[in-house]
Amino acid sequence: MRRTFERALLIVVAGALLGLTANGISPRRIPYITPPLAPPQAQDTVPLKEAQELWTGGSALFLDARSPSDYAAGHIAGALSLPVEEFEDHFAQVSTMFTTDSTIVAYCDGVECDLSHRLMDKLRGLGYHNVRLLVNGWTTWHTAGLPAHTGDQP
Amino acid sequence: MKIVNLILRLVIGGVFVASAVAKIANVQVTHAHGVQFSHVPDLTQFAQDVANYHVPPRTLTNLVAITLPWIELLAGGLLVCGIWKRASAVVITALMVVFLAAIGWALAHGYDIRCGCFGTVDARKVGITALAQDAVLLAIAAWLAWRLKD
Repeated sequence: MRRTFERALLIVVAGALLGLTANGISPRRIPYITPPLAPPQAQDTVPLKEAQELWTGGSALFLDARSPSDYAAGHIAGALSLPVEEFEDHFAQVSTMFTTDSTIVAYCDGVECDLSHRLMDKLRGLGYHNVRLLVNGWTTWHTAGLPAHTGDQP
Repeated sequence: MKIVNLILRLVIGGVFVASAVAKIANVQVTHAHGVQFSHVPDLTQFAQDVANYHVPPRTLTNLVAITLPWIELLAGGLLVCGIWKRASAVVITALMVVFLAAIGWALAHGYDIRCGCFGTVDARKVGITALAQDAVLLAIAAWLAWRLKD
């Protein structure tokens, strides 16, 4: 029995060493320690007050980066659902609603949530240069008592 | 019974080798191009899949993505080849417990995330199907760990 566990441990250690070596020699190696997410810069974020003004003026499009089920449970009124985890499935349809010059506010929920950050990066990579984040978007918006909808329609 | 154990060994070892290769080689399946191996392994997507579970601390998610597929490959390969069968089955059982717990954790928290079970080859989400599939694999692995001799 003891020998079995020693061998099992050896398999784990040898496998881990193989992985570390393979990553070390791979041209597309990834860092061994995950780098922390760069915190959003001030110019990448929209304060709640400005977001509210943009919403009232109808001059910005709000994109919900969370899953469709989270979106249906409650979202900023008028926001479109563009779940970053299923970006390719939804982008073609959603992108008909805006252009690369549109003012876009991406949001998810929770201070730790990186979905909106990833959505912003993806959109910027596609040439949508005017994308910013509403940090902790849904909670901030909702607790401020601002207009919200439930269901899968904006 | 020997023949049953042999079949189970090949099945579960094969599943582990296949899932490891899919992760390491970053295999992509698209409707347009069929199965594609990327020329250079790229763990970025798998590392993101690991991070999405919010189980390991964020700083360690890359390390998990780097080492896990190779442990799977080694354990699965040894099991298929019949070398250190019991020890390999023990490793696979332990991994299945971890995977099952991670999927359960994701479901309990309502995470709508890719399973990552076979790397990038399948875009399946975590859900009851993945949970059931892993439970079956765990049962087989535990059986083998119990019955096989080194």
